[in-house]
Amino acid sequence: MTSAPAAQRQEQRLPQTRGSRKSRKAAWFFVAPAFAFYAAFVLVPLAMSFYYSFLRWDGIGQARFHGITNYVTVLTDPKLLQIIGNAFQLVGYFTVIPVVLGLAVASVIRGHMAGPFGTATRTILFLPQVIPLVAAGIAWSWMFANTGVVNQGLRAIGLSDWARGWLGDFVWALPAVGIIGAWVLLGLCTILLVTGITKIDPSLYEAARLDGARPWHEFIYITLPGLRQEIAVCVTLTVISALASFDIVYIATQGGPGITTMVPGLEIYRLAFAHRQVGLASALAIVLMILVLISIAPIQWFAREKK
Amino acid sequence: MTLPRPNTLVARGLIILLMILTLLPFLSMLSAALAPQGTYPNGLQWPADPQWGNFVRAFEVAKMDQLLLSSFLIVLGVVPISVLLATMAGYGLAKLTTNKYKWLYLIFVFGLTLPFEAVITPLYYEVRAMGLLNTRFAIILPLIGLYMPFGVYWMRAHFLNVPHDLTEAAQLDGASRWKEFWHVQVPLARPAIMSLTILLFLWTWNQFLLPVVLVQDPMQRTMAGALGAFQGQWGTDIPLLCAGALLILTPTILIFLMFQRQFVAALMQGAVKG
Amino acid sequence: MAGLTIRSVRKNYGPVPVIKGVDLDIAHGEFVVFVGPSGCGKSTLLRMIAGLEDITEGTIAIGDRVVNDVEPRDRGVAMVFQSYALYPHMSVYDNVGFGLKLAGTPKDVRDAKIREAARVLQMEHLLDRKPAQLSGGQRQRVAIGRAIVRQPDVLLFDEPLSNLDAALRGDMRMELARLHKDLDATMIYVTHDQVEAMTLADKIVVLDGGVVQQVGTPLELYNKPANLFVAGFIGAPNMNLVAGTVDAINAGELTIALGATKVRVAIEGATSLKAGDAVTLGVRPHALTADASGPLKGIVQLIEQLGNETVVRVKLAEGEEITAVLPGQSGHAVGAPITLAFDPASAHLFGTDQLRVG
Repeated sequence: MTSAPAAQRQEQRLPQTRGSRKSRKAAWFFVAPAFAFYAAFVLVPLAMSFYYSFLRWDGIGQARFHGITNYVTVLTDPKLLQIIGNAFQLVGYFTVIPVVLGLAVASVIRGHMAGPFGTATRTILFLPQVIPLVAAGIAWSWMFANTGVVNQGLRAIGLSDWARGWLGDFVWALPAVGIIGAWVLLGLCTILLVTGITKIDPSLYEAARLDGARPWHEFIYITLPGLRQEIAVCVTLTVISALASFDIVYIATQGGPGITTMVPGLEIYRLAFAHRQVGLASALAIVLMILVLISIAPIQWFAREKK
Repeated sequence: MTLPRPNTLVARGLIILLMILTLLPFLSMLSAALAPQGTYPNGLQWPADPQWGNFVRAFEVAKMDQLLLSSFLIVLGVVPISVLLATMAGYGLAKLTTNKYKWLYLIFVFGLTLPFEAVITPLYYEVRAMGLLNTRFAIILPLIGLYMPFGVYWMRAHFLNVPHDLTEAAQLDGASRWKEFWHVQVPLARPAIMSLTILLFLWTWNQFLLPVVLVQDPMQRTMAGALGAFQGQWGTDIPLLCAGALLILTPTILIFLMFQRQFVAALMQGAVKG
Repeated sequence: MAGLTIRSVRKNYGPVPVIKGVDLDIAHGEFVVFVGPSGCGKSTLLRMIAGLEDITEGTIAIGDRVVNDVEPRDRGVAMVFQSYALYPHMSVYDNVGFGLKLAGTPKDVRDAKIREAARVLQMEHLLDRKPAQLSGGQRQRVAIGRAIVRQPDVLLFDEPLSNLDAALRGDMRMELARLHKDLDATMIYVTHDQVEAMTLADKIVVLDGGVVQQVGTPLELYNKPANLFVAGFIGAPNMNLVAGTVDAINAGELTIALGATKVRVAIEGATSLKAGDAVTLGVRPHALTADASGPLKGIVQLIEQLGNETVVRVKLAEGEEITAVLPGQSGHAVGAPITLAFDPASAHLFGTDQLRVG
């Protein structure tokens, strides 16, 4: 008979890993093929991008080591800085309009969009997410054209002076591109926020009302904190699509007039394949990647803080 | 909670306004597409004599049948393999949860925010070196790699929620890892796999950057890529361009309407998780 | 014939030891219950036998074969999980037959075995259903069916009844006892519920802190707990444990001083205790009787009337509180004085090393 003094009972935290070594080894086998593709078509090209970014290379002839000159150019050349600035201006349109409008709709509805009306709404608002961005670009190019719907509307309400070829206008082309992006992302953000708000316990609103809260207070103290996660998702998605935009600009303006709507994504393409400045294009690509990362990081942190 | 009536009305009004805004560009394209050939149509107006023939002409000019086939082939090349690899890796990574293996997952996750533009230049040289430039494989192979971060992330999230007991029960029942994966895990993952399939289909069909850079011939491209070429060629013929664009939209919209529920669910989850 | 031999088995999760050296012999056909508080290592030990956990040190043999490096599927074991772990997408029939299918059993043999298992467990009418359409008790049966259908040498149960309600648990307990009689298999059963342990086991293994505290039949454990832990763990309500000192030693009997109160405790054989040694006195609540001439005087603090018996919480004159279970509906009142007695032969003594004396 075995007996021993009762050992001190310690709270034993079960470590995350359970199971045997062998089963863990087998798991590698499942990961390997995906990793191979990922490495071949993402990691290796990314490393190459990094490598190219230190070269002066036209893509054909001899490449020469160029130090950090390309990065210096990206961060000092006024044109390139303007292009990067354009991307951040687009964030203003791509992100702010859908999130603000979505929030407005969500906080007014504050309930399920059930029934046929809800289904119809979801279907229609999702359409821009389903179609290629290229098609959105074409549709809006036509909307913004001299004889397009936008001008038609302006003339109809007596603002003929405002009518113009929007996408060819030095001042208005970038906002116009921004509107296209906002149109694409609006539905998704709205539905996300409307769905998110139904997850907030309605009794919170009742309690707030009993505490004497005004609708404005309800929005600030209940709706906004409750939608934190969804807002973070919307902001993340829209910021990425603004900073990394390519399709819409390529179709709608090709970066023009001048470089007023040029964005880093399109500039990388132009530099690498039209201007044969592979090194500079790669430096811009790396900078773009880092810009996206550091723009997203605080949003993710903000969303996670709650837990 | 009963909602105050006026609020509901305001909400409905707002939503209807949003819906009109969403539909307006499509309507404007339709009205332009029905305008007489070669004319410069004016805004949104129902043409006196709708030229439905424009669609026929756009179909022929754009070689829609070939485009559809090409897009279909690309989707067929990308989606099944991507889903399979992502499912396998998601399962594998859900099992490898120790700190020692966390880096592997983090490497995949890092790719989630990566703009495709960041790798497009070297991809061009890589694909050229493989001799695949101007073939559909130039789109298919890189896309599989580029989809791995999201796919793996997505499937891993699913597998983390499958009780570990099921794996162990299968082990005791005599299943090898591979059999357990196919007989137990994959059938259970069906909803997640379905959503992933829908999302990848959509993203592939609409992929633009890769075809523009890697494939010159519009007939080897995706629908979106071909539309870019179509615009380049017929950009000044507004009725034809609009008719072509609408035609190219039709397949996705039809599929979307058919699987509306699944699409919306997938896009929403995709957004939240991605 | 497959017994089980466990020799100096240890298990560490990283630097944290969970099983700290376990030796155990289990004979073929025995129903052994591992019991202990949560975190004591009982489930880990079971999972090591199943092959779901690596063995850090030591050996486990099933029959004559050391199975440390044998895959779970080749060990001849089957397991019933706490969560049942039924495959949600398969019918009951396929759930039960999955293992046979993987083993390549011919379809007709498989079918016969599945139906036989279903008959034994009286769940033939459930075969076409999916797990989601079953009640907790039915799922339990399916999980057991899946385990017995391959006729394993060793059947493992990991807290199988903990997700059932009390009434169903009672039924399933009897069912399991019947099953053990019908099947000629070794059963190892993990639980934290001592009632399950007492009613089902041929042999109970009490674990705490990764160490075996005592192995024995249910009554051995009840009547002669080897140490304070087992004494406190087995039996409900818990044994009363009161600190005291040895006052006098006579043949076969000690007098223990609990403060000013003196009580007599019978012991078997010789003892190394001397007068003045600190000891812990253990008396089961059921061993106490209301007896005006008894040694234990106190005030009633709390009364729970259960109808057939009465649980009385008593604060002794020395300040300690003890529980007594008195037969019938005793007429005591809260706040009233009470005097309790116990048979010297029914008391337990534990030394400062926490081990049983005598």
